[in-house]
Amino acid sequence: MCRLVLDEGADAVYVGVVGWSRRGAEHELSDDEIRHVIDDAQARGREVRVVVNTLPSSTEIPMFLDRIQQYAGWGARGFMISDVGCMRLVKTLLPDVAVHTSVGCGVTNFEDVRFLRDNGATHVVLPYRMTVEEIAEIKQKTGVGIEVFLFKTPSGGKICPGKCMMSSYFSYRRWLDETGKDHFYGSASRGGDCLRVCQSEWDFGPDDAFIRHGMTIKTNPALWLDELPAYLAAGVDCLKVPGRDRSDLLVRDIVRFYRRVLDRIQESDNPDLSGFREPLLVFHQRWKVERGIRDNRLIGEAEREARRVEREQVSAKNFEVVI
Amino acid sequence: MFELSTNVASPQQLRRGDFSAYDALYLGEFSCLSYPNNFCAHPEFLADAAEQVHALGKKAYLRLFAVPSNHDLPTVRKVIEAALALPFDGFEVHNLGLLQMLKEMGNTKPIHLGVFGNLYTDATARVVKDYGVTRVYPNPELSLDEAIYIRDNTPIDVLIPVHGKIPLVVAETCFIHENSGGLPGEDCKFKCAQEHWLTRASGDWSLKDTGCMTLSGADLCMLEHVEKLTAAKLNAFYVQSHGESPEYIATVGRIYRDAFTKAFAGETEGDVQPLLQELSGLAKMGLCNGYYFGDAGRRYVGRT
Repeated sequence: MCRLVLDEGADAVYVGVVGWSRRGAEHELSDDEIRHVIDDAQARGREVRVVVNTLPSSTEIPMFLDRIQQYAGWGARGFMISDVGCMRLVKTLLPDVAVHTSVGCGVTNFEDVRFLRDNGATHVVLPYRMTVEEIAEIKQKTGVGIEVFLFKTPSGGKICPGKCMMSSYFSYRRWLDETGKDHFYGSASRGGDCLRVCQSEWDFGPDDAFIRHGMTIKTNPALWLDELPAYLAAGVDCLKVPGRDRSDLLVRDIVRFYRRVLDRIQESDNPDLSGFREPLLVFHQRWKVERGIRDNRLIGEAEREARRVEREQVSAKNFEVVI
Repeated sequence: MFELSTNVASPQQLRRGDFSAYDALYLGEFSCLSYPNNFCAHPEFLADAAEQVHALGKKAYLRLFAVPSNHDLPTVRKVIEAALALPFDGFEVHNLGLLQMLKEMGNTKPIHLGVFGNLYTDATARVVKDYGVTRVYPNPELSLDEAIYIRDNTPIDVLIPVHGKIPLVVAETCFIHENSGGLPGEDCKFKCAQEHWLTRASGDWSLKDTGCMTLSGADLCMLEHVEKLTAAKLNAFYVQSHGESPEYIATVGRIYRDAFTKAFAGETEGDVQPLLQELSGLAKMGLCNGYYFGDAGRRYVGRT
């Protein structure tokens, strides 16, 4: 996928390190793969940024720093990090690398961004619902590099990157591997998959009088287009296409599409984006289908894990059960 | 010897409640500025509140709003300005930007990092300590051993929640308002005064929703582990009581006050089953231990 998206015009690619990024291992790369991707991107004059955005255990930090030094030695110049303490340590150790704070930092205002900047962040990833005005104010007051996702969730529902532990409340396991690395199943913050329990069907209401049935807690995000010129004018420096959890072909096509859109915007003060609307609808559909498959798979995992736990313990309601 | 604390959102709740079991009160509802008469949004209530809490012989900590947008910052600033001139015993901050703001406003009061401060490591605890933080509420996903590690290796005081629903999600919009016909920008009708639940038809999954915050369905309960907590030399304990009745707050406080008093005096806890029954009776969706023992938050692990 890295090669595909660089071929299609991506300026940089983020790669997740096994056990150290906010996704399950199947979307992460081994060290050999990362080294290969860095070499390949450098040969093309492009950049690889290494994603190490779990919120680690305190005891893992020396291992975390060793990793960063290794990747920097291989030529990685940017790292995506969530833990503020780790961010400051990296900046002390390697003052020349770029530190991109993950959406998991849960930024809500420009003072947050100033705090992150003062502790080593060179770029911040902003959450999905921030308005153009908010982004412009953050840029103006902090001067930090701004990254936004090329999708957003404009309608209702909870959106709380970095401030949600719903998945791990239901399904969570922790184990150490032979190197002493902590692994956490069910917690995106700690390096496992978010099991998308918010995308399951819930009933909601006061006491026993449910006012909504079969609803999801979080609404699905959508790719966007017409707002793009305004976001760029507000000072957005980097637009992110999420590649994990999607097929190589879909990500390749989306990158190709947005490369063309951005080139069009840069050609004119009043770019006409109308010709892109129809292809975008097709992407919406493909995106939704792949997302649905992914969500169902993860919810299924959460259910299986919950059943496994329930077999070991009758119920959380019964406090007399002793493990 | 130890401090047992809980939370109070408004002057009405402060007047109505029985907080005799507690040593300290966290004032304010940190997830929602629109919560009626929320200390987090009403500087005019702060002087009386601090005086009232101190008159009860307790410490008064002021909570600051957890998820302020750019446009909320002036409101929060006014609250901080008022509080700096008052005898509060500290601030509780969830938002790192507000730490920056407090530092620049010349705050010298102790700061406690709240549950949504996302504290997972001693490295981060050292960063926030540089901003005046003296106590941290480690992220609920951390085990007890991890919290103790952070305390010892930072070093810093840690707050250990011992009872109540676990805050799992905080968002900038009100889920209750959105899903009960409320329009964006429309005045809050305070529908969160009534308990709202999310339940899943398949399986017994449940969550409590207070609008801007989602909490665990089950109540965290550490009564069976009080001796373990005291043996680990932990001494700041907290009962999460947002959205609970005055009876809940008084009963839970009394049970834990007695248990910790005994444990710190070196007495054995004895048979806690009747007290667990009482706590279980207050917990609509059962009891759990959170993540303290390295498991999914909703599990309950009894004393072995």
